[in-house]
Amino acid sequence: MDQASPSRRQFLAAVGNLASASWITLNWPQIAVAAEQADQGGHGGHAAAAPPPAGLKTLTAAEAAEIDAIANLIVPGGTTPGAREARAVNFIDTALGSFWAAQLPSFREGLAEFATGFAAHSGAATAFSAAPEAAQTAFLHTVDETPFFLAVRRLTVLGMIALPKYGGNHEYAGWKMLGVENRHFWSPPFGYYDRDYAGFVPYPGTTIQTA
Amino acid sequence: MDRKTYPTSETVDFIVVGSGSAGGIVARELALAGNSVVIMEQGPRLDAHEFEHDELKYRQLSGITNNPATNPQTFRRSENETAVRRNSMTYARVVGGSSSHFNANFWRLHEIDFIERSVWGPIEGADLVDWPITYADLEPYYCKVEWEVGVSGLAGASPFASFHSKPYPMPPLPIKSSGVLFERGARKLGLHPFPSPMAINSILYKGRPPCIQCGLCGGFACEVKSKSSSVWTVIPEAEASGNCEVRPNSYVFQIGMNAAGRATGVHYFDGDKVEQFQRARAVVVCANGAETPKLLLNSATNSQPEGLANSSDMVGRNLMCNKGGGAAARFEHPLNEYKGANVTMMLHDWYNADPARGFYGGGGYTARSGGPLTWGQSVPEGTPTWGPGFKDYLESYTHWMNCAGHGTSLAQPNNRIDIDPELKDDWGVPAMRVTLKDHPDDLKHAQFMIDRAVEIMDAAGAVQIEPGEVGAANGGVHLLGTCRMGNDPRTSVIDKYHRTHDVKNLFLCDGSSLPTSTRGQPTHTIEALAFRAGEHIARFARAGEI
Repeated sequence: MDQASPSRRQFLAAVGNLASASWITLNWPQIAVAAEQADQGGHGGHAAAAPPPAGLKTLTAAEAAEIDAIANLIVPGGTTPGAREARAVNFIDTALGSFWAAQLPSFREGLAEFATGFAAHSGAATAFSAAPEAAQTAFLHTVDETPFFLAVRRLTVLGMIALPKYGGNHEYAGWKMLGVENRHFWSPPFGYYDRDYAGFVPYPGTTIQTA
Repeated sequence: MDRKTYPTSETVDFIVVGSGSAGGIVARELALAGNSVVIMEQGPRLDAHEFEHDELKYRQLSGITNNPATNPQTFRRSENETAVRRNSMTYARVVGGSSSHFNANFWRLHEIDFIERSVWGPIEGADLVDWPITYADLEPYYCKVEWEVGVSGLAGASPFASFHSKPYPMPPLPIKSSGVLFERGARKLGLHPFPSPMAINSILYKGRPPCIQCGLCGGFACEVKSKSSSVWTVIPEAEASGNCEVRPNSYVFQIGMNAAGRATGVHYFDGDKVEQFQRARAVVVCANGAETPKLLLNSATNSQPEGLANSSDMVGRNLMCNKGGGAAARFEHPLNEYKGANVTMMLHDWYNADPARGFYGGGGYTARSGGPLTWGQSVPEGTPTWGPGFKDYLESYTHWMNCAGHGTSLAQPNNRIDIDPELKDDWGVPAMRVTLKDHPDDLKHAQFMIDRAVEIMDAAGAVQIEPGEVGAANGGVHLLGTCRMGNDPRTSVIDKYHRTHDVKNLFLCDGSSLPTSTRGQPTHTIEALAFRAGEHIARFARAGEI
């Protein structure tokens, strides 16, 4: 294996940072500002099976299509929404265009390596997003430990579950997938097991004190 | 209400550094006793409507906690290592301090906690000590917390609890599915689970509403004021006295001292990062177990070159963060743990350390939940990390709960907060350096807790159990022991009334005061100590003994 060059090491560190909660913490103030901007900007279009990513501010359409294709394999659609329906790519676009803008060059470098690797793997010049799903899946199995993939994976999960104001989790599609209802208050019973709870029964020898 | 303000040129009776669990109470007690008080808080003052249900922001992105970008720290495991930049001590940086974002588990200590050194004798590699006070000394103040601040619970429910002279003022919160399952499993094993005492209103109490069961307690501030945080409870009462100013965005970086060895006030940066000095007759530092020793060490003088109140060399030492271990479990039907207060049921069967186990350590368990974003960041070993299998896992979110063990950490003098020789924060203040390594008994006890959690979840009927792993200490939110109280000035920093042994008009009260780590839920004790400290400091002030 080739020795990592300084720029390569920097790339690995930079892209790897995207997969780390502590890096996000370091950059919280920028994130907050960007979230506000994303919230104000809004995103047009409708949830659909495979629409081209819309409302992009940072990624090119081609880049977004590749990231969207990867994200859609990380959390595929089906009977519940996947990353595509949740527009996780829009969260990633927001992130890389604002609070993680410093990571964009490294991210793009990672994406380029990903594309090169896919071309070598498939033996064709077809873009990953245009390849058959079986070919996509087979290739992802060869790169799913790389810092770039781990970064996309983490961003995809964040883009599905973080509030829609950050660009993803469109119409709370990610929460629907989790089974989480979008409400701010609840009353019992909360779940299956507390529906018929009979109440606490004191232990022999104890004396309950009540106000 | 017009809020009282004091000019920096005025010498107030007391400055309280920090507005959290301890600071708010100490300030209230001093202000109600007629003293003029200024509370200095590093962070902003936010109103209830400004707190959001934003898990990304609050649980992972330092929304209201110390920000590693602007408040950096360094970390190492032993004094032989060079510390690397990493924040391991986490605390809220907002009016209300960590009482704003706590989970609100309010456990009293037991009588044994105060006398463990006498019971156990010395432990190799540790500095286990008795407290200079007893449970009986503190019991009235536990009651005061429960009634003045507001705690819900069921006194008498735990066969292991030490005596309560009064019941809780509010009944326990509704038991959620995790609590029901936890109780089912524990009772099956012959254990004694009971409804958790929580600093969350279960009914309308002291003008604050009952919990709306939004499910976002730990890491979040309560936007309906049901959680008994200082910012909604004691601080408004302190301000209503007309004797107390809360000064947000005020970062105290040094305690002023005169040639006579008395504190004269505090140096701080205001919200514009402009240096100010507030005069005071006395200073009470309630900044938390990490920031309090940092402030003392950064306040060294020619006569106290190793840091204020540090003639014992104990300032910053014996850092404890509470070790624990537990298990996650999946059940056949949805629990919907994202709904409801985070904790509703617990047990204390293994509270006491037991020599028969072969190591020191004790603790308690809670049935609890976590938010989906935090939960979704990791998967159990063997679960696919992407693709349909990963999605299946994400879709099972509502079926999971945690059986969390909260335990002891032994005091070790080499575990400490001191000042990094190079790193400074955004204000130019020398940053803290953390040295932290587990005692071998802490690791053994953590594994013990994991094993018991697995048994409880198995007995409860879990279809999948994921035991936790015993990892190396990496910091925490319970920041304890770094300015311990004691009767001997050679081995402790403050006396049993929270006065520093070295500076007559300098007092400390927060997690740093605790001589032992408690069993993983220290806040009730910190608040009881604060009521006690406030009462005694006010008495000293009246008697002219400050």
